[in-house]
Amino acid sequence: MSEGTATDQALPPVLERLREALPDVPFEYVPTPLDPAVTVPREHLLRLMTALKEDERLAFDYLRCLSGVDYLDELEVVYHLRSFRHGHTIAVKVRAPADDPRIPSVAHLWKAADWHERETWEMFGIVFEGHPDLRPLLTEEGLGYYPLRKSHPLAEIEDWQENLLEQVERLAAAAAPPGAPEVVDEKAQKVALAQKKAEVIKKAREEARAKGLPPEEERKYVQEAIKRFEEEMAREAAAPAAPAAARPAAGDERAQKVALAQKKAEVIKKAREEARAKGLSGEDERRYVQEAVKRFEEEMAGAAAAPAAQPQRPAGEAKAPLSAADKAARIALAQKKAEVIKKAREEARAKGLSGEEERKYVQEALRRLEQEGEGG
Amino acid sequence: MASTAPQHRHELETIDLHINVGPQHPATHGVFRMVLTVNGELVEDCDPVIGYMHRGNEKLPENCDYRQIIGYHDRTDYLAQFNTEWTYCLAVEKLMGLEVPERAEYIRVILGELNRVASHLMWAGAFGTDVGFFGTPFMYAFREREVIQDLFEAVTGERMMYNYFRPGGVAWDVPDDFEEHCRYVIDHVRRGIDDLDALMTDNEVFLARCRGLSPVTPEQAINWGLSGPMLRACGVKHDLRRAEPYSIYDRFDFEIPVGTQGDVYDRYLVRMEEMRQSLRIVEQALKQMPKNGPIMAEGLKRVLRPPSGEVYARTESPRGEYGVYIVSRGADKPWRHKVRGASFCNLSALREMVIGNYVADAIIILGSIDIVLCEVDR
Repeated sequence: MSEGTATDQALPPVLERLREALPDVPFEYVPTPLDPAVTVPREHLLRLMTALKEDERLAFDYLRCLSGVDYLDELEVVYHLRSFRHGHTIAVKVRAPADDPRIPSVAHLWKAADWHERETWEMFGIVFEGHPDLRPLLTEEGLGYYPLRKSHPLAEIEDWQENLLEQVERLAAAAAPPGAPEVVDEKAQKVALAQKKAEVIKKAREEARAKGLPPEEERKYVQEAIKRFEEEMAREAAAPAAPAAARPAAGDERAQKVALAQKKAEVIKKAREEARAKGLSGEDERRYVQEAVKRFEEEMAGAAAAPAAQPQRPAGEAKAPLSAADKAARIALAQKKAEVIKKAREEARAKGLSGEEERKYVQEALRRLEQEGEGG
Repeated sequence: MASTAPQHRHELETIDLHINVGPQHPATHGVFRMVLTVNGELVEDCDPVIGYMHRGNEKLPENCDYRQIIGYHDRTDYLAQFNTEWTYCLAVEKLMGLEVPERAEYIRVILGELNRVASHLMWAGAFGTDVGFFGTPFMYAFREREVIQDLFEAVTGERMMYNYFRPGGVAWDVPDDFEEHCRYVIDHVRRGIDDLDALMTDNEVFLARCRGLSPVTPEQAINWGLSGPMLRACGVKHDLRRAEPYSIYDRFDFEIPVGTQGDVYDRYLVRMEEMRQSLRIVEQALKQMPKNGPIMAEGLKRVLRPPSGEVYARTESPRGEYGVYIVSRGADKPWRHKVRGASFCNLSALREMVIGNYVADAIIILGSIDIVLCEVDR
């Protein structure tokens, strides 16, 4: 059905009334599933809207929705109206060219249009002429782009984010000279790189907009800028990286600290066990442990003071090669322990022991296990 | 003799002061800010600032498949998830000309109406706190809401983001004990509403703070674009379930409560009565619902591609008219996806309602609108 026949054919009663009220305003009928819609030229919009609201036969007193739509070369505004007096509805559509997006405001007719027009302005860049207070509503001022326009794509940014980590890793791998220790703060580097890249993209987009390129070419322009940036990065990475030599010392220091803390934890544990074996009370136990810690710290201080002249290769390095095997052994021991505990607990429960007795039973089983371990 | 006290007012000179309320404030029901210009205790101007929750809920769906979008509607009005999903599904169904099976329609009505009750309960509890009943109505309301929530969880497996309605029907059938469970909920909630009623409706403090506060005339309400309980409180007997019946609402017998003054107290009364009417609808729906049958329209493709066209679907959500405007160009993603939030439009009238009232009352007026900021900001 072409538009010409649609207008001639039986119009919905609302539109018949509209034609009666405004015989000289041309409009086109577009059927939609729920409301009859009409398209009007921009210059007739205000007259049409005023008639829709003021004319007794129409009396559209309720503006229920106002939406902007981006048709690339044109921008459209759709008004959904309802009349409480007659119970009928209508949708009015008006278009403006994308390079001259001005449409008269209807906020003086329906107060409801106020926020709708503000939102449509900030999202689509449609200027509602005569609006009393055209400020951004949902976004901050000075955004610089219109988020809901098709020229502000969403999917590409997502793609870009997905690929970003991969690219960064590739660049980082290329940047590292062979054999050099990987001690650089990778995360900070990645973030810095991403920020740099985002800047490049932003700049390219702005340049493209300043040149007035259409969306398709703008995208290409941005992609080229990204490519140039990546090549530059790769070249920079290929050049020998001088810094990062001072770092290993810091790593060493950390390992030392960790080793010290582990030793200390062992001392505490041992002291606590001894105190318990002696049957000391809670208060005494704490004191016993504190004394042990004090002794340990004094010892450490003495050790640090004495061999200060010697090259610094204490606990940390000595322990490092052990750690892998050590770890496995510890895990195995812990697992064994857990099994023993579980078994002992089950046995205790089967025997119907009370909570206190159960705990003792389990502890005994553990002690047996430790003795076995020492024996083996 | 009696009027000696107020005289000193005229001797005091006051200057206008700007007060910032929010965005993080218990009285703003979310992340909302209003800048009040006050002269003493009187509000002379109010500038609502929104957008803190803006997540591009209209842009994201333009990059999604028609079924993926349902989840975004849960996240607009997160207190009336079924109603928002319903509106969206209705829009797609109208575009595609789909017929929804009987049983699915009844399931939708039951869940949608119970969701309305849950939402109003949540409002009543929070509003009680605004007015100054610290805690008690909130706990009463939440006790009942929890019962409804359990039902929703049993049906959908989720407590908040149900994602249960689909274009053409519902995702899966309800559990076997659904009817029984619903009757239990109705029974429980009906008594709970009576409890709330007894606690709040005739309370002296409540009356003193709410009655006569910020009356709105029907003409104003319509011109400002108010909808839902806000509109009905002004005496406009308008409910989309009756005025433009969608789904199967023409089969039920229910009243549309309206107010007379359009003040805050009327908004409260309208919502309380609406809960009872919703329970009535659920009872009727349970009686009429076919015991078994299909719950999904047949012959739907894995990827929905509605023909070119546009539709503005709207339903009566707890907060008013929730609308979805979709423009399809025949692709698997909508060309344009616009959400008309009920509380967005209701909130836009805040300035007019607040001016001339006291600061403390401004909080109550804001509370009476029943805003959900995720739906306002989208």
